[in-house]
Amino acid sequence: MRRYQEKDNVQNRAYYNDRFWVAPQIPKESVEDDKVFSEDLESLKSKFEIKEAYIQRGQMVVYIDARDNKAVLTHLRDKLSYNFLSEMSAIDWLAKSNEFEIFYQMLSTSKRKRLRVKCFIKENEAIESVEDIYKSANWAEREMYDMMGVKVNNHPYLKRILMPDDWQGHPLRKTYPLHGDEAAQWYEVDKIFGKDYREIIGPENRDAAYVNERDTKHFARIKHEVKFGEKPSKEPTDLMDYQEEGGVFLIKKLKKDESITLKERR
Amino acid sequence: MAQHQVRYLQESGLPVVLTTADKILQWGRSNSLWALTYGLACCAIEMMASGASRYDFDRFGTIFRASPRQADLMIVAGTLTKKHAEFIRRLYDQMTEPKWVISMGSCANTGGMFNTYATVQGVDRIIPVDIYLPGCAPRPETLQYAVMMLQKQIRRESAFQKLKPKRLV
Amino acid sequence: METPRREYPNRLQPFFENLVFERDDNTMVINFGPQHPSAHGQLRLILELQGEQIVKAVPDIGYLHRGMEKMAENMIYNEFLPTTDRMDYIAAASNNYGFALAVEKLLDIEAPRRAQIIRTMLLEINRIISHLFWLATHALDVGAMSVFLFCFREREFAMDLMEDYCGARLTHSAVRIGGVPLDLPEGWLESLATFINKLPKDIEDYEGLLDENRIWKMRLEDVGVISPEEAQSWGCSGPTLRGSGIPWDIRKEEPYELYDELDFDVPVTDTCDSYGRYKLYMQEMRESVKILKQLIPMYKESDPQLMAHAPQYISAPKEDIMTQNYSLMQHFVLVTQGMRPPVGEVYVATESPKGELGFYINSQGDPYPYRLKLRAPSFWHTSILQKLLVGHYIADVVTIIGNLNIVFGEIDR
Repeated sequence: MRRYQEKDNVQNRAYYNDRFWVAPQIPKESVEDDKVFSEDLESLKSKFEIKEAYIQRGQMVVYIDARDNKAVLTHLRDKLSYNFLSEMSAIDWLAKSNEFEIFYQMLSTSKRKRLRVKCFIKENEAIESVEDIYKSANWAEREMYDMMGVKVNNHPYLKRILMPDDWQGHPLRKTYPLHGDEAAQWYEVDKIFGKDYREIIGPENRDAAYVNERDTKHFARIKHEVKFGEKPSKEPTDLMDYQEEGGVFLIKKLKKDESITLKERR
Repeated sequence: MAQHQVRYLQESGLPVVLTTADKILQWGRSNSLWALTYGLACCAIEMMASGASRYDFDRFGTIFRASPRQADLMIVAGTLTKKHAEFIRRLYDQMTEPKWVISMGSCANTGGMFNTYATVQGVDRIIPVDIYLPGCAPRPETLQYAVMMLQKQIRRESAFQKLKPKRLV
Repeated sequence: METPRREYPNRLQPFFENLVFERDDNTMVINFGPQHPSAHGQLRLILELQGEQIVKAVPDIGYLHRGMEKMAENMIYNEFLPTTDRMDYIAAASNNYGFALAVEKLLDIEAPRRAQIIRTMLLEINRIISHLFWLATHALDVGAMSVFLFCFREREFAMDLMEDYCGARLTHSAVRIGGVPLDLPEGWLESLATFINKLPKDIEDYEGLLDENRIWKMRLEDVGVISPEEAQSWGCSGPTLRGSGIPWDIRKEEPYELYDELDFDVPVTDTCDSYGRYKLYMQEMRESVKILKQLIPMYKESDPQLMAHAPQYISAPKEDIMTQNYSLMQHFVLVTQGMRPPVGEVYVATESPKGELGFYINSQGDPYPYRLKLRAPSFWHTSILQKLLVGHYIADVVTIIGNLNIVFGEIDR
């Protein structure tokens, strides 16, 4: 019988999990402890629905409704002086609740505070683009679409950015294997030579630990090299020497006994 | 690396006899290898360092040229991704005969540490390679050693090989 | 040995669509392809030109995308550290340090004093290496070829220092989660002192060659002007941001490591063009020399602990592993299974030589991160090209790309 492979999450998992071990959590402090953050939270609460808010490792995390994201970010930029969108991306929770979690990492240089705004969307929903508020979201949303498949509305140029344009699949999803699915593994052979050359070129060698001492097409014995495909032999060869014996016409002869090691760099 | 069904033993077991014309031509070709700047990732920095003043590349007669039509050696330095694979094949086809390829670094040899969906596992799935150079990143002296080995190999070959008329398609 | 030839006919049709003449509005489309001597890696720009002026520029990236974020979801934290080397491969220890700091924040541990000193020294040496490389390639692209050779000569000194310390010239992995694995070798501090005594004079040489040079000034002044509002909106950081007058440097504003104890200035300039940024880079090299001078005496009076003491997450020092049983068992488990950090997420930004390098780690208690997002400064600096190149001439494209200090390992990850 084959080993059962989970289809939900094909990434590497820890092979040993203690049944009774409970993972500790990073403490979530309440927002009242910090003056600047509590003022910001009050200002946000007065206008929008805030599902949850806490401070974790010195940065405030705010959960909002996904439909408010443009309004919240406009409010953050104009009223609360968060002038940088450092980063935005998505986290894949499709296995757990069929949702993506989008996060926006904000930075305020005048207050020296970092804030993270998070929201959840379902797999088929789209999220509004914040590109007209922060231009840095232009490429970040393209990357989010490319890697995760999260569609963005009203984006000026929503096209694949890191993968080739005709790539099938969204790589950073948990259901996408690290080595790539079939279309990924044969992509370059199909594109350049055509599908018929798949058998001639052969599959990729994804096993990093493959070693075969009788295979002289891919491995060579230093100082006992043979041609491709012949049987390995024990006869010494001189292919690894720098120059032929007797040197080359007009080229400086390399004499090993005359080489010196410098004690100090010049 | 790829598993090929191609016969590599092209000379059918006969020894290669070099005439004087061969020797002179190959001596000239080996000592003036003009390299195409194909630095893709970190190994490109080591390639640049080997062309700089401490590990000089000009003493081998090697100058880095930008155009494939003017170069006869392609040093693939760095990771080849699947998005880029098409272009390296194009540039290889645009180079004029005779041409040689050095695959520098583990990413170009076999995909290296990037055993992922977007990396070509070895540049020899796309283009034929003459010298494989291990390392991550290989030192500049190692690159120069590889060039010296290639020079030795060139001097051993015959100058007038069976040339098919080259077409891009 | 006959060279193998493979004459498979391939399906690549020659395409001539990279040069189009006689479009409707008389613009010409040029492909500044992924292989180009001054593309600093693999940048593909599709430029629409009206005469020699650029009307529209579309940068196309992704030719070096190696899937690092996906690799991180399949590797344990310590195993992923050498991969971060290959992000910004010019100053590799700064990426290692950023990742190590992010994981240390996640675990809430702090590196001991000597490790902090060594890490700050490595960071500043990497800053000097990166700025010298920037100057070398930028000058080479603009046309001053001898500056390339001079800067690489200085770089060789610094790379020799890094090689003496950790064994590798380019991909260091010199920083571990919780500290550093190696102590400084003998004579390293003396070589460092020789290097930093020599460097300011060389910086003056380069400034003498380039500062008042008419050609350099003509090519760099008023080229690549980024206004402060644009810089903030497009997410610029580092010298690109400080060149537009915004004094934001993470080393001063949110200090990490020993930066709050060291005395250094952060150069800021108001001229938003390339020449101002060039002056900033030169001044930053001098500030790094100042920092290194202060660190050398601090090293001598620190006690020799190199890795933090957190046996749940970090292995014991080598002597203990070799002699004590439980340290060996813990080390074995940590290396084969990996340490399990607490559940939560963290975002930590450090000031790499290119800008704000950030790591967002979301952990669910597994030995593998659930989501790791790498915030690379060069990604955002390349996205600004679609706005910045419009209106410039085609000769300025090379200047602007060189001046923005982009490195493709970071952009494509």
